[in-house]
Parts: sequence; C-alpha cells; structure tokens
Amino acid sequence: MLDMHSVPQQQPQGRQFNPYTENGGTILAIAGADFSVIAGDTRQSEGYSIQTRYAPKVFRLTDKAVLAVNGFAADGNMFVKKVRQRLEWYRHAHAKDMPIRAIARLIQTMLYARRFFPYYVYNILGGIEEDGTGAVYSFDPVGSYERETCRAAGAAQSLVQPFLDNQIYFKNQTPAAGTSFPSHLPLSTVLSLVIDSFTSATERHIEVGDGLEMYVVLARESTALQGVEGIGGVQEITMTEEGHRVFVIRRELKKD
Amino acid sequence: MFLTRSEYDRGVNTFSPEGRLFQVEYAIEAIKLGSTTVGIRTQEGVVLGVEKRVQSPLLESSSIEKIMEIDTHLGCAMSGLTADARTMIDHARVTAQNHSFTYDERIKVESVTQAVCDLALRFGESVHDEEAMMSRPFGVALLIAGIDELGPQLYHTDPSGTFMRYDAKAIGSGSEAAQSELQDKWSKQMTLREAHILTLRVLKQVMEEKLDQHNVQLAQVTKAKGFEILDEAQLKEIIDEM
Amino acid sequence: MDHFPTNWGRPRNDYQDAYGTYPIHQRPRNPSTDAFSDAVKRTQQPIVTGTSVLGIKYKDGIMLAADNLASYGSLARFKDIQRLHAAGESTVIAASGDMSDFQYIQQLLEELMIEEFTEQDGHALGPAEIHEYLSQVLYARRSKINPLWNSLIVGGFKDGKKFLSYVDLLGTTYSASTIATGYGAYIAQPLLRKAVEGYEDVLTEEQALKIMEDNLRVLFYRDARSLNKFQIATITADGVRISEARQLDTSWSFAEGIRGYGAQTQ
Repeated sequence: MLDMHSVPQQQPQGRQFNPYTENGGTILAIAGADFSVIAGDTRQSEGYSIQTRYAPKVFRLTDKAVLAVNGFAADGNMFVKKVRQRLEWYRHAHAKDMPIRAIARLIQTMLYARRFFPYYVYNILGGIEEDGTGAVYSFDPVGSYERETCRAAGAAQSLVQPFLDNQIYFKNQTPAAGTSFPSHLPLSTVLSLVIDSFTSATERHIEVGDGLEMYVVLARESTALQGVEGIGGVQEITMTEEGHRVFVIRRELKKD
Repeated sequence: MFLTRSEYDRGVNTFSPEGRLFQVEYAIEAIKLGSTTVGIRTQEGVVLGVEKRVQSPLLESSSIEKIMEIDTHLGCAMSGLTADARTMIDHARVTAQNHSFTYDERIKVESVTQAVCDLALRFGESVHDEEAMMSRPFGVALLIAGIDELGPQLYHTDPSGTFMRYDAKAIGSGSEAAQSELQDKWSKQMTLREAHILTLRVLKQVMEEKLDQHNVQLAQVTKAKGFEILDEAQLKEIIDEM
Repeated sequence: MDHFPTNWGRPRNDYQDAYGTYPIHQRPRNPSTDAFSDAVKRTQQPIVTGTSVLGIKYKDGIMLAADNLASYGSLARFKDIQRLHAAGESTVIAASGDMSDFQYIQQLLEELMIEEFTEQDGHALGPAEIHEYLSQVLYARRSKINPLWNSLIVGGFKDGKKFLSYVDLLGTTYSASTIATGYGAYIAQPLLRKAVEGYEDVLTEEQALKIMEDNLRVLFYRDARSLNKFQIATITADGVRISEARQLDTSWSFAEGIRGYGAQTQ
C-alpha cells in the first residue's frame, strides 16, 4: 500500500532511437481457379496523421506475380526494390522469369536473412503458379510462409480476415442439403468481396481509405474476365507476350 | 624481342604473342590422355558411359568412380585428371543445393554448367596477399547430363571454361573415333535403350580390353527416376543385348 | 571452398562468415579497422533544431517555406539560419530537425552535385533523383541505428513536371500536393489541403505566397519553437528562387482581451 503512494523509483533513463514506425493501411489477396486478385488501399499514415492519400502498396513483379507489402513503409519500399533486383539477376542468370513458387521461397530467405533486424512488413504474394492455378502466398515479417486461397494483412486484418473466412472458406456456414460449397469463386464475386472488404474496413478503421488498387492476374487462356465487363476503370498492364495478363483496377475510397 | 614458346607456356596469366594461353591448351591436351567418356541425349533422358581402365588384376574396378551425381536430376561423367573434377563437382553440388534452398526448384542444367565453368576460370587468380586457390587450370573435361523444364540436356565443359550443348559427345583418348561413330549413329528418335547400346558399342570400339560389366560404367538421367548409375546386373543385361 | 561467386576475388573473412552462411549476392564486409569505433557516439536525439517546413504545389511549380530559427531546446538560439537549400538548377530541400545533420546533408549534396557536374555527360540531377538519393542515405543511416535526425521536403520542377516529396530520419517517403513537417503536420497541413487540393494547377504565385504566409502566421501563433522571420523558395520553369528573409506581420492586440490565465485573473 505504501508503495503505491511513494514517489516512483528513479529508473535509469534509456531513450533509444526507434528505427521502426507503422504506416497503416491494409492489403488482401484472393486466389481463383485460374486467376488471382491482389489489392491494397493507398493511404499512408503515421499516428493520427494522413501523410498521403496515394502511396501504392501493391507492385507488379512479373506478368504472373504481384506483391503487396504492408507495415513500415520505408522497409516495404526497400524490400520491394531488393526483390525486384533479385528477380532481374535471376532472369540474367537463368534466362527465364522466376516462377511464383520460387519468388515465394526467395522472399522467405530474404526476410529470414534479416531475422535479427527484421523488415517490419507483412507480405502477400499473388499470381499464377506454373501449373496455371491462381496462387496466394502470405508471409510474416521474418519469413514464415504458406500458400493459401485468401489472406488479409495490415491494420484492418482483424476486420477483413473473418469476413473472408466466412465468404471464401464458407466458415460457419452449412451447405444446403445435397449441395457443397465451391472451392473457387468466379472473378466477379471475388472483386465484389474485395471491394466490400475495403469499403467496410474504410468505415471502421481510421488508417484505411482514400484509394483502392486491385491487381488482377490471369492465367494463359483464362476466361475469368467474362462476367466482369460491368466493372469500370480496368487498365491492362501486361508486359510480356507469354500469355499471362495483368490488370489494375483503381477505385476511390472514403477520405475521412 | 618476343619470348620463346617455352617461356610463354609457363604463366597462366600471360597470353603468347599469337594470343594463346598455352597452359589452357595443355590442359585440354591432358583430357586426351583420359579414358573415353560418352554422353547421349534422347527424348526420354540422357545416358552417360565411361570406360574404366583396370590396369591391374588386383585393382578393385568398383573403386573407379568416373560418373557422379550432382543433384537428383543432374549427373556428371568425366575424363582427364579426375581428381580435379572433385572440386568442380563439389561446387556444382553446393550450387545446386543452394539453388533449391533459395528458390524451391531444381536448378537448370545450363545454370549448373555455367557455375562449374565460372570456377574453371579461376586459375591464376589471387587478391592482395592472399594465397591463390588454384595454381593451374583444371585438367578435366565434364559431360553434364540432366533434365529440367527444357527437357533432357547434355553439356560438355573443358578447362577453358567453355561449355556447349550436345546431342551426343565423346571425350577422352578415344574421342575422335567415338565422336564420328556417334555422328553416324545418333538419331533424334532414339530410345533410351538404344542410347545405352550405342554408348556401349562406341566404348567397345575404342577400348583395348574386352568390354564387360566390370570395365565400363553407365548412368542415366530420366524424368521419372532422375539420376541413377546402372548396377552390374543391369549392365550385363544391356551388354548381352548388344 | 567458397561456393558464392560474388565473393570470389575478394578477401575472405572467416571471422564474420566462418561457415559461408551468407545467401548468395550478399557479401561479407570487412570489419572496421578503427580501434575507437566502439566508442563512437551515435545521434540519440536532435540538439539544435529547426521547426516545421511547408511545401505546396501551385500553378507554376513548387513553393517551400521555412522560418529562420534554430532552437536549442526552448532557447531561440540562432535567428538567421537558412533552412532552404538549393541543390542544382531545379531542386530545393527544406529541412526541419537537427541542423548539424542538415548541414552534413548539404555537404553531401554539394559533393554529389560537383561529382555529377564533372561527369559532363549532359545529365543533371533533378528533384526525383535527389529525393531518391536522400531517402537511400537516410534509410541506410537509420538501418545503422545512427540516423540523420531530419524531416526533409524535396521540391522541384523539371521537364515541365512538379515534384514534391518528403523523406525523414526513418527513410519514410511520400509525395503529395501539400506537405508539412513537425508541428506543421498537425496545424498547417489541414489548412494547406483545404487551400491547395484541387487547385494545384490554378493557384497563382501571389495566392500561393498568401497561403504560405497565412500558415506560417498560424504556426508562429501556436508553435513556441517558431519565428516570425522566414524565407520562401519557388521552383518553376525559370529555375530556383530563394527569397531574402522576411518579417511576418502579426497582431497581438487580441491578447488584451483574453482573460482567465496567467497573471490576469479578472
């Protein structure tokens, strides 16, 4: 009792420079049967301040791999820069684009190489596997990774992931008698889910908003685009002639 | 004035006035003293064959090791100073393992060949006060066989660090005769079994001893089973079929 | 044997990398030979500091503003410090934070610009290149836990394009049509956004200047580490212009009417 009223003990004051900060935002990726959608909002913040309304967190690496990076923006940008450098070296050494599975493993080794001074970033890698299936790989900051069907990360992960679990993995739902849930959803459904995820996260999370960038990666001869003609602002950004196609869809989110 | 040839052929770092590196050329000559080694590529896979010279009846022929595994999908046969090949294969193995560790995929046949050739050029290299690791070029040529996404492939490397891809290639003492025989007999539609037999026939032609399952060695790289050295029972079966 | 080709031809370092565990492409560095390096002190806090700087886009290019004060804690230590630095023909850096680190950055840029000039290759570093360079320097220093304690705004105009970006001691970067550092991020930024966003290609230099003065005035009223003496930089197609120091006209007469704190209780 006496302790509670006594003067707090003088502790040795060790103020240390903190090399990290959090820059908010949320990213998300969903794999389809022969496509993949990778999305992120474009707000960058620190504390309660919005630094900018447009700072991309999603980056096209190749025509079959797109990387979303969330957490400490400076680390994120540097990490993407280094990944790109490694992809180019690989291209020169092995005369081919790195397959997404190899990129995933590379990202693990790059992250783990900094195990004791980590890149403070959550990575989600989306794209097309060598067998033509849609793929999503998710990582923690020190390199643990797995292939999944969908994943949300960042400030609003706790808001978005349960929604995705319910709508994509059909968690806590029971199929009608004699039916079963699909293992993959069509692109139009996926895009709607992504848009709903971000408008909802924007409503309830102060660090999410301003703009939405959705990257769509299509496998060779994918017909996933049929049925989404209604969605406006689709821009094709394919680089090679190999058959995989990449699109970006930009939308506004609330700015308050 | 110009130095004489005998003065230019000592240093590995000095071109002769005609633009030649004698030590490298001599190293290539050294391979022609080695036992004959043959590689054949087919659609199904690649076959490697070597002659094992059993110089003494007291020699255990199974201890002669001239075909080695680099990775599950990569094999290598050698001719020349085979001890030098150990350094190269060690490097190839580490490079292949490092690749699969970093990229979760098998290294391409060309990439591992390139890695070995990078090493082959390191003779005469030394930095600051460090001891040079290699004092001379490697005296060995390799046939590197493997399968990757581009299919079955066969590469030849020599001490100059040059590498080339072949459908069929012979190296070593009997290589000239063997190569022209391969040129005659190789065809695109060859089966793996036909390649086995052609390998043995070519070896038989250039060998002094009578060919049997003890003085030759065969290996293959196939899509299904990767690299494997054929045992004596399998060898005998093929020899009987010849 | 060293199986990593990138290490070939370099001195080995068994002390740092006894088992060759470095992933490929990452080279072991040699340890510093400086016997006193252990005792080198790293920046733990800024000492002589500049407060907020502001930057906006307007019709003709970019306008930056900074007052002339360098504080030593709460002491207004130096009152004619220039915190705007021209780098080349098309870029100005505005600095807040530690002034000695800023002077070091000015030195770096000066050396860099001379080096680039002597190339005589027809290329001049523009604002984008300078910003990238600074962000690499600041990020590298934060990664050594030895930061350059600044928040910088890089403003520029080159090839008909406006450039306005931020970089700080952590290496964090961003671009926007209005940027304010430090206290200004809270006080000036909302006012700047209201005045500038959507009007970047409309605002005249006079209007932009008024926006800047209004914001500097608000900051002078509210930020105890600010000064009513300031400079303005503009970067336009005509090049870089940094103004002489100017006074801010302020009015304190309203203070007479304030009751309820300080010595006045009635």
